Amino acid sequence: MLAWVTGLASRTRAWLSAQRADQEFENELEIHLEMLTEENIRRGMTPEEARRAARIRLGGHTQLKETNRELQGLPMLETFLQDARYAFRMLRKNPGFTAVAVLTLALGIGANTAIFSVVYAVLLKPLPYGNPDQLYNVFQAKPQEGVGGTGWSYANFTELREQNRVFSEMVGSQQHQLTLTGRGEPAVVNTSVVTPELFSLFGEKPLAGRAFFPEDGKPGAPPVVILSENLWRSSFGADPNTIGTAINLDKRSFTVVGIMPVAFRFPLLTKSEQLWIPLVQDPLFGGWMERRGGHWLQVTGRVKPGVSMTQVRAELDAFAARFAKEFPAENDGWTIRMVPLQQMIVGRVRSALLVLLGAVGLVLLIACANIANLLLTRATSRAREIAVRTTLGAGRTRIVRQLLSETAVLGLLGGVTGIVLAYWGVQALGSLLPENLPRVNAIRVDRYVLAFALLLSAIASCAFGLAPAWFAANSNLQSSLREGGGRSGESRNRRRARSFLAAGEIALAMVLLVAAGLLLRSFSKLMSVSPGFEAQHVVKADISLPRFRYSTPQQWAAFSDEFLTRIQAQPGLQDSAVAVPRPIADSFINLGFDIVGDPPLSAGTSRTANYVSVSVNYFHVMGIPLLSGRLIDRRDVFSSPRVTLISKTMARLYFPNQDPLGKQLSFAFPPDSGAPREIVGIVGDVRDVALGQDPGPMMYVPYAQAPFWGANVVVKSTLSPPSVAAAIRQEVQKIDKDLPVTDVATMPELIDASVAQARFRTILLGLFAAMAMVLAAIGIFGVISYSVSCRTNEIGIRVALGASRSSILRMILRETLALALAGMALGVPCALAASRLVGHMLFGVSASDPATLAAVTFALAAVVTLSGYVPAHRAMRVDPMVALRHE
Amino acid sequence: MTGDKSEILQGTLDLMVLKTLEAMGPLHGYGIARRIEQISEEALQINQGTIYASLVRLIQKRWISGTWGTSDNNRKAKFYSITKAGRKQLHTEAQNWERISTVIGRVLRIAERG
Repeated sequence: MLAWVTGLASRTRAWLSAQRADQEFENELEIHLEMLTEENIRRGMTPEEARRAARIRLGGHTQLKETNRELQGLPMLETFLQDARYAFRMLRKNPGFTAVAVLTLALGIGANTAIFSVVYAVLLKPLPYGNPDQLYNVFQAKPQEGVGGTGWSYANFTELREQNRVFSEMVGSQQHQLTLTGRGEPAVVNTSVVTPELFSLFGEKPLAGRAFFPEDGKPGAPPVVILSENLWRSSFGADPNTIGTAINLDKRSFTVVGIMPVAFRFPLLTKSEQLWIPLVQDPLFGGWMERRGGHWLQVTGRVKPGVSMTQVRAELDAFAARFAKEFPAENDGWTIRMVPLQQMIVGRVRSALLVLLGAVGLVLLIACANIANLLLTRATSRAREIAVRTTLGAGRTRIVRQLLSETAVLGLLGGVTGIVLAYWGVQALGSLLPENLPRVNAIRVDRYVLAFALLLSAIASCAFGLAPAWFAANSNLQSSLREGGGRSGESRNRRRARSFLAAGEIALAMVLLVAAGLLLRSFSKLMSVSPGFEAQHVVKADISLPRFRYSTPQQWAAFSDEFLTRIQAQPGLQDSAVAVPRPIADSFINLGFDIVGDPPLSAGTSRTANYVSVSVNYFHVMGIPLLSGRLIDRRDVFSSPRVTLISKTMARLYFPNQDPLGKQLSFAFPPDSGAPREIVGIVGDVRDVALGQDPGPMMYVPYAQAPFWGANVVVKSTLSPPSVAAAIRQEVQKIDKDLPVTDVATMPELIDASVAQARFRTILLGLFAAMAMVLAAIGIFGVISYSVSCRTNEIGIRVALGASRSSILRMILRETLALALAGMALGVPCALAASRLVGHMLFGVSASDPATLAAVTFALAAVVTLSGYVPAHRAMRVDPMVALRHE
Repeated sequence: MTGDKSEILQGTLDLMVLKTLEAMGPLHGYGIARRIEQISEEALQINQGTIYASLVRLIQKRWISGTWGTSDNNRKAKFYSITKAGRKQLHTEAQNWERISTVIGRVLRIAERG
């Protein structure tokens, strides 16, 4: 080892002073020569003879110097630099080839790097918390009723937190949007209601003030609040005296006790303007802390280091069993499961992103095949040069090394250009990315992404460089020299390799085209599906009622009544209504219910439907048709008998072959748990969850009988959305100047946003498929052109012997079509296999859709034929005289 | 170049150079080449240039050192001498060599008889 180090040191020294060392060695050889000559003279030779004999005795002068240099210096580095210099010269001499190769590669690497930057930021980058892999979300679940994972009751959570042996810390949380008043315009802020351990769980220290104390979480504790740095800066002007002052949240006074640094976010996916209050202050659930039932608290825990997953699962199972035994009414049948926090955050988009990464990888593969083809073509025309080198004593490895250096230089150029393209690509992606993609603001070309790009160009260089180098090294020396630079004698192996590459390109392009075609068809179906309501001209806005002031359902109902009366009195705003939740715009509420008089269901089955509370005018505003019975009207007030409407699907699903009108439902949801509700009407189906999801059973209740703490309003108006918003604001202020009107949007916008991810992957995959097709076309064009130029002589003879021009055209096109058929024969099974990967993203079209497959096959065949036609046409016009002289 | 003369292995040449320098003291390249030829009674006629590759290798391993000096007939030349590490190496190598050549000799004799 030591010897190796000293050897390397001396070599490096020698390499650095190469000039001097060379000179010295020259002197040494000269002296040796003189001494030999003198001896020869002493033996009786003439001076000339003596000198000549001495030279022979010493050996080849140049060779000795070369060996010495190699031994003295750093031969690997030296030859690499030499090769690289030579490669640059070669590339500069063939600007067309270089431009095509570098651009092709740059496109491939640029697209890959851009997509990887998204994948890295969204999927791979660790969460911005200490030891993020220890963090898990813990759920209660009731699989037999289809409840995959839901929150906890405070009582269950506290017991688990205090008595478990596998989590070092656990925190319960719940999100609200509270109204911050007393500081200029009322504003809605994202509020996390948390148990006091939040900050110690994540190991985060406040920027100023303090974190929560355990006492802050006890019932009866004075209300305190911790602000995020960004909220403190935006709403409090970064006032250093903010700590200790009081602020109003939903009309309750809270004392600011701390400010958290901007780096800390919890939950991660909300705006950075956020604040935290202790769980006991929760405006909705604060009164539920003693209750064992209810599943409203989200639980996050940090697993102790060194504790295995098996141990954690065993512990959680034990707790589930204990809860079920001690409190069977609330806990029977419930299990506990956990999911890594990272997976929670990115789970939904994972497969779509990986499909995109795979697709863009295929594009790069096609690009590599193209460049390999170009290089093979060039290597053939360079066969003579390589043969000469070999004759002059270059070893096989030396030749391969030189060719690989050329591809490495090519790869480096392509990589660097690709990184530039990736910077643009990431910017372009920025405007294309769906806003609801998690962690989207973390996407950038950082050092990891750069490392990926460089690694990729290295791998790509190897991929497209090896085959040509291998062929070059194994070429037959004699035949290459004898050919005298002509190109007619390309080896069969090489030709076969090129055809194989071209066919492979077609196959890969086919895979991408089929996937893109499926997504495109699916997306157009999605866009043409009717949501069940008329979105045109409908504007929505949210008014959040301070829960500490408006605390009873009667107050909520009174507010929405007054609000609607005022709004409907405005010109152009007559068609307005209140509804919670609104389709697409809000998240749905799925509720279990019973049919009064029906026998109880067998265990493990349940009836559920999506629940909506709507004001009188709602169906008119949204254009949802009444199918039978009556709509909700002014008679349906809080004191009148409970009524409900159901959707067509609900009638079909739960009342097959009977008239649902007059039947009664009961469901366990406040404010009237268990009270029977008579079905008075059936309305049309609505795609309330997502455009791409078939309408499920739905039930509508009168807002007056089941109000919410706020007014989620929909207005159908021909006025412009901003003037609608302004009118709503004006009327709300007249009722209560502290009420904010937020989240104003038009329904078409919301529907558009709801398909943003589908659009994103459709556009990208379409783009990649287009790139793939263009690259494959270029590849075919290259192969056929080259084949034509190799066969010029043969074509000339054929023409001279009387072959018609059209038969020549047919001959070349036949060659093209053979390639196309081979590629597509390879491509169809690959495409069918790959399309299964996008199957779950499809809407209204099957993964093996024959129409798409047929269209893609036809389009690809057309493109391939076209790219073969140009060289075929050239072949057709070959002049036999010129061709025969062509040698 | 090889003819019917024995071809020498690279490592063998290094060993001979070391031995020569140990026996003769500092020598220049020509001297070393001459000396090896003389001792082998001209049985080994080397392409004298190859000695320099061996010298470079030995210098890199720090088993010999080289300095410019003046030869007998007042000529400037590079003189090589064995280092302490070189002597140690020579000692182990020589032992190795003897053991191996004994073994090979024995095997060859057995084969002849066989």
